[in-house]
Parts: sequence; C-alpha cells; structure tokens
Amino acid sequence: MVACTALAFIGMAAAILERDPFDKLISLSVMIGGIFPFIVDRGYLDVVTATALIAPLSTIFILMVCRRQQA
Amino acid sequence: MLDEPTRILIAAAICWLNFMTVDLIFKLPESGGVSGATAIAQEVEKGGGALNGGYMMGNIVSSPDASAGTLLASCGVFCAGFFGGLFAAVLVYVGNRICYDPGYAGTTGCITATFIVYGAMQVGFAASDFIAGMVIAILTIQGISYVHASRLVARLWSVRCRWLRGCR
Amino acid sequence: MPVAEGMPVIAIYVCAVIAVYAALRVILQRNTMRKLPFLNVMSFAVTGIIALLLPHPITIAAAAAYFVGSTLESNAIASTWAGGIKKDE
Repeated sequence: MVACTALAFIGMAAAILERDPFDKLISLSVMIGGIFPFIVDRGYLDVVTATALIAPLSTIFILMVCRRQQA
Repeated sequence: MLDEPTRILIAAAICWLNFMTVDLIFKLPESGGVSGATAIAQEVEKGGGALNGGYMMGNIVSSPDASAGTLLASCGVFCAGFFGGLFAAVLVYVGNRICYDPGYAGTTGCITATFIVYGAMQVGFAASDFIAGMVIAILTIQGISYVHASRLVARLWSVRCRWLRGCR
Repeated sequence: MPVAEGMPVIAIYVCAVIAVYAALRVILQRNTMRKLPFLNVMSFAVTGIIALLLPHPITIAAAAAYFVGSTLESNAIASTWAGGIKKDE
C-alpha cells in the first residue's frame, strides 16, 4: 500500500513537472495506475472495471486534441 | 516443498521461456504491427539497440501478446481455477481485437500458460508465484536496459530464422 | 490491510517494488518513446497487484480491463506520436 501511494505521488509530481504533452499524459497514466490498488482493496470490482475502461478513452480524446493542434 | 522466493524465481524462468517461445513462433520481432510499434523500434535502434528487438518491444507495448496472456492466465488460475485461465484467454482475444491485432500470439500464449500453471500447481507451485514470476520476466525484457534486451531478442530471432524458414 | 490465510505476501511485495522501480524509470527517462516500455512494466505490476489483492472470479475481468486499457492507451500515444512526426516531415 505504501508503494502504491508512492506510485500515485510520483505520477503526480511528474505530471506537474513535465513540459511535453505526451510526457504529461504518460505521467498521468502512472498516477491513475497508482490509484487502482486502493479501489481493489475496498472490494469494488465493478468500479475498478468501469474506471479501467473509461481512463484510456479520456486519454484518447486528449490525444485527438493534441493531434489537432500539431497538424 | 521449496520456499516462496525460490518458487518465484523458477516460475519467472518458466514464464520467460513460455512467452519468448510463443512470441518467436508467431513472428513478433519481424515487423511492427501498428505504426506506434514501428516508432518505438526506430527509437530503440537510434539509442543503440537492435531493430528486431525493438519491434518485439514495440509489439509488446502496443498490444497484449503472449506475455500479457501468460500474466492474465496465471491471474485467472489464481482467482478461479482452471476455467478462469480459459476465460482469461477469451478476454485476451477481445483485448487483442480492440488493439487492431490479429490476436493469435496472445490467445495461444494464454492457453499454453494456463496448462503450464495448472500443471505446476499439481507439483506444488502456487499460482501467485507465476504472477510475480511473470512480472519479473517482463522486467528483464523491458525494464532493465533496452539496449541489451533488444540485442538479446535479435540474437534469439536470428537463431529462430536459422531453424525455421519463412522469415524474410 | 487484513492479511488472509495463506496470502502470498512476498509476491505482492515483489510486484509493488517492481511497480515503483518502473515508475521511477519512467520519470528518469527523457525520450518519450523509450518511456513506453517502462510504462508497460508498471502496468504489468499493477495488474499483478490487483489480482493478488483480492482473489475473486470478477477480479479476472477487472485485471484484464485494466491491462487492455493501459495497452490501448500506450498504443494510442505511440500511434499519435508517430503520426505527428510523419506530418511534420
């Protein structure tokens, strides 16, 4: 559990510090990965499944915005 | 029976052999499956690694292949017994189709890993050993040093080309 | 955290240590494309933690959903990155 807290905080610090949008997205996914074990520890398996499916979709939408700006 | 750290190390070796064999048979290091895998391979080659190993690392990153099949099969056997592993194979196939991949390598690796884990449980291993062992095995491929790992994969790929024809 | 009977404690520790190590490598690596293999290692480790914490049949679905989602995410990041490079050239 301590390690998962560390994971979430590492991702948060990196998301603050990074400049490039892709690096920022990667840091965000590290942070989200640190949150999952806490939800599992409470036993909410359906919440975990729904969150795991929603998080990549939001990332894909942000990626569409990034690509629109670059093109 | 053996201690838990010893069992985890042995399980790591077994998982490593399993997913590497299945990946090499299904020609993962030959080319990038999607454009992202090709981009990762070119970056790895630019950093001093080998191109074929980079293709394999890119394919592992961008779609669930035999390594993911091994992990989810051991998770399935750990949670729900033998049929949990077969159910995990179905889930891996669905995940492969989501990621625009044919999905043969992941499904085959998952089914073989289900049989391997179930057989090892009869001998005295626990399925949790295989989960930790698979995490260690993927760490040795992708986590330590991409230069050495890609060169190792490229060497294994050339050995496989020598034994079985049909690649390039 | 209540420790159940016969719970694989060492396996959870191994997965947690590898997850933190991979996260640190993700942060310390400067190249965007070379971050993705370490991110993949971290998602393997988190999937292992999810499955080891709660042995229940639905856990397979949750672990598979997390892993496939993470893979799809890195796939989309890599593909978009490659597409952006091609458009620039």
